[in-house]
Amino acid sequence: MKPFSKLGSLALVLILSLAAGCKKGQKNYTPLPGYSGTPGASSGLGKGQPILPAARPLTPDGSGANGADVAGVNNPDGPGGQPSREEIEGMLADREQFKANTVYFDYDKSVVKAEGKANLQSVAAYLKAHSDNKVAIEGHCDERGTEEYNRSLGERRALSARDSLIGLGIGADRVVTRSFGEDKPAELGHDEAAWGKNRRGEFILLTPPPAGGLR
Amino acid sequence: MPRHPFIALLLTLGITLNASAAEVVVSDVTSRAVPIHLAGFSGDAKTVLEFDLYVAGFDLVAPAQAQYTVNGKSGAALEGVLADVNNKATLFNRSYPGGSPRAQAHALADDVVQAITGRKGVSRTKLVFKVQKDRISEVYASDFDGANPVQLTADANIVAAPAWRPGRKSLVYTSYRAGNADIYSQDLTTGSRKALVRFSGSNISPAPSPDGSKLAMILSKAGSPDLWVSDAEGGNPRRLTTTAADESSPCWSPDGSTLCVVSRESGFPQLYTVAASGGAMRRLTTAGVRNTTEPDWSPDGKWIAFTRSRGDYFDICIVPAAGGDAKVITEGEDPSWAANSRTLVFARRTSKFGPRKLSLLDWPTGHVKDIAQVAGSSSQPSWSR
Repeated sequence: MKPFSKLGSLALVLILSLAAGCKKGQKNYTPLPGYSGTPGASSGLGKGQPILPAARPLTPDGSGANGADVAGVNNPDGPGGQPSREEIEGMLADREQFKANTVYFDYDKSVVKAEGKANLQSVAAYLKAHSDNKVAIEGHCDERGTEEYNRSLGERRALSARDSLIGLGIGADRVVTRSFGEDKPAELGHDEAAWGKNRRGEFILLTPPPAGGLR
Repeated sequence: MPRHPFIALLLTLGITLNASAAEVVVSDVTSRAVPIHLAGFSGDAKTVLEFDLYVAGFDLVAPAQAQYTVNGKSGAALEGVLADVNNKATLFNRSYPGGSPRAQAHALADDVVQAITGRKGVSRTKLVFKVQKDRISEVYASDFDGANPVQLTADANIVAAPAWRPGRKSLVYTSYRAGNADIYSQDLTTGSRKALVRFSGSNISPAPSPDGSKLAMILSKAGSPDLWVSDAEGGNPRRLTTTAADESSPCWSPDGSTLCVVSRESGFPQLYTVAASGGAMRRLTTAGVRNTTEPDWSPDGKWIAFTRSRGDYFDICIVPAAGGDAKVITEGEDPSWAANSRTLVFARRTSKFGPRKLSLLDWPTGHVKDIAQVAGSSSQPSWSR
């Protein structure tokens, strides 16, 4: 009975519309996507909207069914280029070796603070004594900027520390940079005491993998 | 046109509001909201209609103040009759069978906006954004009002700057899942993901061109964070800026001819434009404000919305695309335009240095409304166009 009565009312509307000569006041129907004649039975997604997939994480090595990390163009421009991603990703990361050598920056500045010079020299001396090692510099910011601005500023800071190491005689192809912007604070406070510790460059020692599983 | 007489007085006297008056927001409101009355709606339909119309520049008022009325009925099929009170004319009488109650109400809201203003509604569009919890962040998508959130990544790492590619079927974003900031694309219909740009150094702030054929981004591989433009899939990267300072947050003019980007070339962040084909950087005048970041070019080409830093606070500002006087609209950061070149989604703090939440802004009326929030700190929204 129900479908019939709906059909009946639709017909009535049509007849009334015709009788009214399609003047204003007629009822129009705007069926939404998925409408099959039964109101309330569809996905509710508007026209032209993507069907959003559920979260589908890749496998840790990036080779999951959802597409691998391909492309991988890596061609640093000219002299002064950083080591390639393949070189870096094949090395072991040691976050302890240079833990005491973190350098700091003034607010919104990318020049290593004067008291950090000795730390840069320590890192450079170690790298000179271990010629098969490399270093990654991670630049960070406090929370007082906008996010992508801080991401670029953190990179500028890491590059500034890298330039210092190169100036101290370390080969450009031994120093890679990263930036985490404001996403990885060392301290969670919201005052200068915390911010001063967050505006930093950390050095991560990279060592060759053990040959044949042995060192 | 500040609404508050005290602020108007201060401005008249040329007194600058500084960071100590940080809670005072100077709103450059340029047009009046349209008064409308809703009757007969209930439940989701009522909630959705009120939200959608408010952020489209309407004020929900009592019948006596209304210029328009929407009489309707919430039911299996939402019904709505839009009338002009002054002319006593019925503008439409429609029924919305199918879909969810929310989808029906969004469709009716879009029809009301279209019938009264001639502008296409934006109630059936999507957002993507970053959600941070503890030290982990993931990419999410939702309806424009925050409903129906979907988590799109699950790497338990750090993501940044998700952006729609044209067609609403694919995204680009930065992920640190390989230990480095790299640029990925993700297809929303299949869920497949691809690493597009992964040079040594930072590969960040991806911005697809309006026609989808190119990708602007910030790369540090040449020794400084510079603006680069590549093919859509990351091939043939070309360096557009060569400053020693850091650039950030590029966006495109709607015709794809020009990019707007932030540079710290002068020692503090300012907006610059540069031709997509290459050439000199030109400073964009934002008279009245400084420390400007996060530009987004309106789809009609007329405006650039951006963030200015004011002490420890941020404001959403708008400037003509050719440069000129900047309007300070409301407190917040990282604006992204809707297709109507009028509504913006942006992030704002729940408290000073507290987590961020997402809000919508109808800038001509100054109407601001929070969207439904995902647990955590939400930021870096991008509005599908």
